[in-house]
Amino acid sequence: MIKITNLEKYYRTEEVETVALNKLSFEVKEGEFVAVMGPSGCGKSTLLNILGLLDDPDAGSFLFNGIEVAKFNERKRADLRKHNIGFVFQSFNLIDELTVFENVELPLIYTGVKASERKKIVEEVLDKMVIMHRRNHYPQQLSGGQQQRVAVARAVVNNPKLILADEPTGNLDSSNGNEVMQLLTDLNEQGTTIIMVTHSEHDARYSHRVIRMLDGQTVMENIMI
Amino acid sequence: MLLNYLKLAWRNLLKYRFFTALNITGLSIGVACFLLITLFVTDELSFDRFHDHAGNIYRVDADIVFGGSSLALAVASDPMGEALRKDYPEVQGYTRIYTSNGSKLIKKGNVFINEDDVAHVDSTFFDIFTYPAISGDTRKALTEPNTVVLTESAARKYFGNTDVLGKMLETNDAGGTLYKVTAVIQDMPRNAHFYFDFLFSMKNVQYDFGNYLSHNFSTYLLLRPGTTRKAFEKHFPDYINKYVFPQAAQFMQLKSIDEFEKSGNRISYQLTPLTDIHLRSDRMAEIRVNSNIQYVYIFSAVAIFTLLIACVNFMNLSTARSANRAKEVGIRKVLGSERKTLIRQFLTESGLLAVISLVIAIVLTWVALPFFNSLAGKSFRLTDLVRPDFLLFLVLLPVFIGLMAGLYPAFYLSSFNPITVLKGKLNAGARRSGLRSTLVVFQFATSIILIVGTIVVYRQLNFIQNKKIGFNKDQVLVINGTGALDAQYRAFRNEVEKLPGVLGSTMSGYLPVMPGARSDQTFSKESVMDPRNGFNMQCWRIDENYIPTLGMEMKAGRNFSRAFGTDSSGIIINESTAALLGYADPVGKILYSADGVNSEPGPHTIIGVVKDFHFASLKQKIGPLSFVLGNANWATSFKVKAANVKDILNKVQKIWTGMAPQLPFSYQFLDESFSNMYRAEQRAGKIALVFSVLAILIACLGLFGLASFMAEQRTKEIGVRKVLGASVQDIVGMLSKDFLLLVVISSVVAVPLAWYGMHRWLEDFAYRSALPAWIFVAAAIAALLIALITISFQAIKAALANPVSSLRSE
Repeated sequence: MIKITNLEKYYRTEEVETVALNKLSFEVKEGEFVAVMGPSGCGKSTLLNILGLLDDPDAGSFLFNGIEVAKFNERKRADLRKHNIGFVFQSFNLIDELTVFENVELPLIYTGVKASERKKIVEEVLDKMVIMHRRNHYPQQLSGGQQQRVAVARAVVNNPKLILADEPTGNLDSSNGNEVMQLLTDLNEQGTTIIMVTHSEHDARYSHRVIRMLDGQTVMENIMI
Repeated sequence: MLLNYLKLAWRNLLKYRFFTALNITGLSIGVACFLLITLFVTDELSFDRFHDHAGNIYRVDADIVFGGSSLALAVASDPMGEALRKDYPEVQGYTRIYTSNGSKLIKKGNVFINEDDVAHVDSTFFDIFTYPAISGDTRKALTEPNTVVLTESAARKYFGNTDVLGKMLETNDAGGTLYKVTAVIQDMPRNAHFYFDFLFSMKNVQYDFGNYLSHNFSTYLLLRPGTTRKAFEKHFPDYINKYVFPQAAQFMQLKSIDEFEKSGNRISYQLTPLTDIHLRSDRMAEIRVNSNIQYVYIFSAVAIFTLLIACVNFMNLSTARSANRAKEVGIRKVLGSERKTLIRQFLTESGLLAVISLVIAIVLTWVALPFFNSLAGKSFRLTDLVRPDFLLFLVLLPVFIGLMAGLYPAFYLSSFNPITVLKGKLNAGARRSGLRSTLVVFQFATSIILIVGTIVVYRQLNFIQNKKIGFNKDQVLVINGTGALDAQYRAFRNEVEKLPGVLGSTMSGYLPVMPGARSDQTFSKESVMDPRNGFNMQCWRIDENYIPTLGMEMKAGRNFSRAFGTDSSGIIINESTAALLGYADPVGKILYSADGVNSEPGPHTIIGVVKDFHFASLKQKIGPLSFVLGNANWATSFKVKAANVKDILNKVQKIWTGMAPQLPFSYQFLDESFSNMYRAEQRAGKIALVFSVLAILIACLGLFGLASFMAEQRTKEIGVRKVLGASVQDIVGMLSKDFLLLVVISSVVAVPLAWYGMHRWLEDFAYRSALPAWIFVAAAIAALLIALITISFQAIKAALANPVSSLRSE
């Protein structure tokens, strides 16, 4: 599903050039659950941003379902993103002014799904995430775990092929964290490819494979059994 | 999608109530100002456009330079219209209006009512102008003498209904004349450079018709479609050669027109489009005092700037608070929103705000209309806002405001990089933003210009009111229409003079507070007039009490006196005439008047020189003027003691009604009439003042919002500084200095612009106040103080806050 080859990314200031990704190459197959680990500054988040089509690489190739997307313009990237990729963030990133229902509904609006259909889909997803009873609440009225369930619901509502999760349990206690990890595992079992950046060895165990990074390069790959 | 935008927009407006309130207040006031001024401006621009042929009607104006004096007249000679119609096929028709007789007394029952809105017009009046008839055939209504066309209001006033065809109306013309009502028309619209209630037949005008040199008729030509003004004006030299010159040659012993022009004299004509008269014509003998296109420009600019200042508030507060919206932008982008989608969303918010503001603005406009009407001298109603043409404007206005206010914030906010904002690294709404500073400078520069403008207009009005005008306008009670008293006139004047507190009286046909009135006559320095010795001069018939009663001063010679029988052929000239004639000692010299082409010049010995006094608007230089003894008793002026004015007025009225109960008692005070000459300027001054205050208020609302936001953003910094020992003054100074610097920059920008604008405005006045530097300094200091007070409120609040709580909250 994803194949990156010799991916490079630099951050430049007036005086310093920092290498974020250094000729990074790997592949993720459809249906895989991959964890990306490494110390702070190793390039994990940069990698995730590029995989999520939020950022451009400076060099290298990025094939998404066999299509070269590294040089896509903003409109094409937004189009590919909204149809194929779901995001889960450490800090949930829900829109405070929207209710739970409206937050989850948002990706469907951007993909042009009709209102009547949207309602059905959102309710199904909220049911699945066991958050239906909170559908009219605003994010500030929910616990961290509930907020992350809403974020996961929003990430999957468009039925994406790929979910990118950036430390999804980073702001949660262990119980809520486990709940979220179980949700991701369930989604993966239903066929969704997941790439997760994490610092937690515990969370990484939920994945099939761990890619360990250092200084913008892959240093090790562990197959999890 | 739109519903989603609106929902979110509404929630955002509610969430940030304080800023929403600031924005809506500013925008509502701005839009209300804009609506009121737009009503005013569209009304001013609509003058005379209601006629079917408005685009093809032109007034013939005359420019005459003769003997060093120049006349720019809004009138033409009586035969000119017919001559042009006969000679030039481009003239489809013409009509004339004659108003030199002034008001008329019209009998209702047993009493006479003084009517000002009267005119004698040609029978072709309704061929040229469009006034719908209620009854009668207007095309034939004025073909006969002793006929009159009434407006609906006049018909109701005199007869109680409009079914009045064939009824008779009595006026005081020539000792009493009956006119038959031949048509009734709808009331004439007030957005016209003339409007009358009574249109009398031209055939009743007592005038020496056929004189191409005497200009007293407002003459309007209807040119055939396709004829341009410039092309038609090329005929005027031929017209002058054919008609004017032969009479002038006979009058002034001229051999050729060249001879006339070589002596520095000139006569020329021009056409003024009907629709330009109200705003672009300020000539002698206008039917009414016109307005000035300058005020349309000035008020349009004020309206636009007021609205822009309000929009700038929205832009500034939106971009300053961008950090609050950054996360949302990031999430939406991550979820697949394109930039254009976000732009639409933000524009929906500004549009919603504009719609809310428009609704409030309409309510404000409704509340302010009576006040504005009295300020602007108009009679707008709220229904004027929903006229079809205005309705489209009202629908488009929020779209325009929404775009103007929202476009920049929309582009700015939608440009955020999602990675940056989701990491919380964006320091949006940072303290310094080039554009935001520029916009604040724009707001305050505009405010300073408005402050300067207001001060200058008021100073000029004050200058006019207090200028030494050469006569004493105070405590002079003018009783109008005393000529109608006929045989009782002398008795009336004697009775009034006997009242305690009455210091003197004079009768006259002219007073120096009537800019439209004129009595220019041709004089020459020698008995045989030629182009070198002839000149035009105002010549007023007065009595021997005129000069002392009005407090004028003699510069040389003496006033008229009953003791000198020869004074009937004497003449008193003003200083300007003496200068024009080049006489160092004019007393004893002789001037020759020519009253019409067939009359012999009559000699007048100069018996005195009166010091120059202003007899027209201060916009014009004092021209040549003379007095001769005569019995013009159109009005009688009484000099009274200040303490008894009201009592005297009551007693004068009693004497009047005792002697002539059938005649209307009408009076004015000379100083009030003087003020009325500057009504347009007074209105402009008041409007400028009100809208300047509002514009500054709106700018302050924005500054208040920005200051409060900045204080909020720097809460932690303020806490740390206080913990480290900063005083309240230090904190207030720190928070204020950036803004105050912007106000200083605004002053630097505003001063040259304000100087240029006001210099141009003052150029319109022949006599004007100075433009001293202190005005600009005062305006800048005023803006600085206003800004300081606005900012201080928030700055002091932030400085007094407990640093512990602000640090803990961080």
